[in-house]
Amino acid sequence: MKFEKKRSSVKQEIPTASMPDIIFMLLLFFMVTTTMREVEVLVDYKLPDAEALEKIENKRLVSYIWIGKSGRIQINDSIVKVDDIQNIMYSKRQELPSIIVSLRVHIGADMGLVTDVQQELRKAYCLRINYSANIKI
Amino acid sequence: MLLKKKRSMEANIPSSSMADIAFLLLIFFLVATVIDVDTGIGLTLPEYVPPEEIEDVKVDPDRMASILINENNDVLLGGEPISLFQIKNTLKPRIISKIDLPKNKKLIVSLKTDRKTVYSAYISALDQIKMAFFEVRDEYSNSRFGTKYDDLSEETQKEVKDAIPIIISLAEPEMVK
Repeated sequence: MKFEKKRSSVKQEIPTASMPDIIFMLLLFFMVTTTMREVEVLVDYKLPDAEALEKIENKRLVSYIWIGKSGRIQINDSIVKVDDIQNIMYSKRQELPSIIVSLRVHIGADMGLVTDVQQELRKAYCLRINYSANIKI
Repeated sequence: MLLKKKRSMEANIPSSSMADIAFLLLIFFLVATVIDVDTGIGLTLPEYVPPEEIEDVKVDPDRMASILINENNDVLLGGEPISLFQIKNTLKPRIISKIDLPKNKKLIVSLKTDRKTVYSAYISALDQIKMAFFEVRDEYSNSRFGTKYDDLSEETQKEVKDAIPIIISLAEPEMVK
């Protein structure tokens, strides 16, 4: 008996014509989701752990304040003094009325400093804050 | 005269490399994207009132749960010294007992720290307080609607929120005289 492989006469090809379109779609997705501004953090900090965490839904509303190990405070790209926070945050709030301030404070920082920063934020009417923390495992 | 039609040359942009270029861009944005969600403990600060204008409002002591953390991370809850990790279980029965009370009788948790208190102790305390409220909310919605708080619809979520509002008051920092 003769065995013969049956081959279908239909050409087997994956259509690649739409590949660029698909790639462009992916590309657009990543372009939209990318947040380019990565601030260079000048202070040394380690976030505390917590369990009752909330997610910040809207990243565009967030503005960060870092408080480092040495008690230095950073906003945007520069180290600032406590007295300057009010002015900086007030102008930020005028651009973005529903601003959320995310405080990234070092684990061992003194509460006195954090309270001072909070008082300045209250004066600047930035009342929505968020203490940044990592998920406790 | 014979007019000869000019044969138009077909002008083509080579598009075979388009996919490659798109891939390159794609890889760049893939690498540059940070999809980490910011997590943290949310809080709304009270409005700033100048120290001269601060008015003392009398609150029923039964409504208040005042937590004090000193510089050695010792915790006082309503005058009783407890450990940091007992806060949740101490608060929970007090929150539960106030579920059916009207809005102006709900529990207020007041948190006060020393200037030298370590930040992580403050966050742990805040975490405990929030967890107490979240757990009571979950239990309440479980008994009433049969699901967790997060799975409820928006209206029922609001109902639970009204029954168990999270009221955390940060004590006004004391002036050093």
